[in-house]
Amino acid sequence: MSGMDAGRPPGATAPWDTGPPDVDLGRVWTGVAAQVWRRDPGRVERLAGRLLRSAGLARALVATPSLLLAWIIATVVVLFTGAVATVATGTPYVALLAPAVAAAGIAYAYGPGIDPAWELSQSLAVSDRMVLLVRALAVFGLNAALGLAASAMSGAAAALTFGWLVPMTTACALALAVATVTRSAIVGVAAGVAGWVITVLSGAAASGQLTTAVTSAALILPYLAFAACCGAVVLYATRIPRGTS
Amino acid sequence: MNVDITDLTRRFGRTQAVAGVSLQAGAGVFGLLGPNGAGKTSLLRMMATVLPPTSGRLRLLGRDPGSYGPRREIRRRLGYLPQNLGYYPGFTAAEFVEYFALLKEMPPGQVPRAVAAAIEHVGLGDKARAKLRTLSGGMLRRAGIAQAIVNQPELLLLDEPTAGLDPEQRVAFRALLRDLGQRATVIVSTHLVEDVGAACTEVALMDAGKIVFHGTPDELIARGEGTGAAGDAPLERGYSAVLAAARSAAAVA
Repeated sequence: MSGMDAGRPPGATAPWDTGPPDVDLGRVWTGVAAQVWRRDPGRVERLAGRLLRSAGLARALVATPSLLLAWIIATVVVLFTGAVATVATGTPYVALLAPAVAAAGIAYAYGPGIDPAWELSQSLAVSDRMVLLVRALAVFGLNAALGLAASAMSGAAAALTFGWLVPMTTACALALAVATVTRSAIVGVAAGVAGWVITVLSGAAASGQLTTAVTSAALILPYLAFAACCGAVVLYATRIPRGTS
Repeated sequence: MNVDITDLTRRFGRTQAVAGVSLQAGAGVFGLLGPNGAGKTSLLRMMATVLPPTSGRLRLLGRDPGSYGPRREIRRRLGYLPQNLGYYPGFTAAEFVEYFALLKEMPPGQVPRAVAAAIEHVGLGDKARAKLRTLSGGMLRRAGIAQAIVNQPELLLLDEPTAGLDPEQRVAFRALLRDLGQRATVIVSTHLVEDVGAACTEVALMDAGKIVFHGTPDELIARGEGTGAAGDAPLERGYSAVLAAARSAAAVA
């Protein structure tokens, strides 16, 4: 386990063994290994590190798609929710609730049931809520980029991209920016949600749909049931697993 | 004292996982022994700031983890190896350790050397650039240990760290523990008494959520002498004798 010989190339130890006695060969070897194994962050990661003021968050941002199963589940939830929200344009409450469903889906995808290192992430200095926020941005942002490419070929893809993915990427970016400045993920999410609500309601008011959606008595029960489902998903996604011994 | 716990409890519904534990630990290697379901993992998870206590007082590295600022500072100086640590299969061993080093808010300039040192410490140098999906269970466990020690923690919490390691690796790991215990508080939860005997300066034995013994490994051995308790080794006999005494005392009460 001391392992100092394990990573050395064959034959590389011989010159060091005959080196001057005041040279700390272990330290030298660690320096060499650090140079050989170091990963150079790409441009996006470097830029994100500066903007987010955290190399850890930047790494979490760019590493998000590599957690493949979680990425697929999050993407499916986001696209499905977006499709519903884009089709049901006559009912503003769908657009208002859609981000909660998407957020719950992303939280679940990167939550304790699926993220293999979730428990460890709960013990780290970088807030797990901030990590979740950058993951949401990564999911929306990459899907929006793919959507933009697909929009050239399909009208349906354009509707989904410009009616859902691009606006939600913007809302996530706003939330992350505010969270970074205020150092509070909760404040950031509140800002993102506020931005989204203002956008949806102003659009609905302009087209005369707002009053119908808010005052219809027939919709109260569906509203409550939907809110309860979202709450249950969030509680499940953020639950603390029971100790095993 | 890096760990200062007074009357700590944790409930899960009707189950009392930890029932009024008090414990102090400074530098050294502290073994947490006990049968399955004794509450070791729950206690360790509270010390790792993953699980909030139901009641009691918990201070880590001189700070109260109940508040955000102190908790963040504790977490920067903490190393934690969960019992069931999952791995990101697409990461290399070096990337895995680096990922957690960055999320522990280590200065980015120090990270490459710290990653290399941690990987060398656990003897994974020849697998540093191998994808985790290609590594054996023991190698994965060593990668987990490497991420726990990468920030040179002042408080290191290891839950069943030797699970999956072969005998040679376990011997080397105990030496690593003794080395780390020179300057940090290392708390090792295990049910392998030989690990405790070889590496720990102090040991606590838990049963039914309570600490039923706290002392040195030699004192635990002494508890088993002449009792006829079951066990192949002196420490095992001490372990069995203490557990039997605690359970009979609980039955009488």
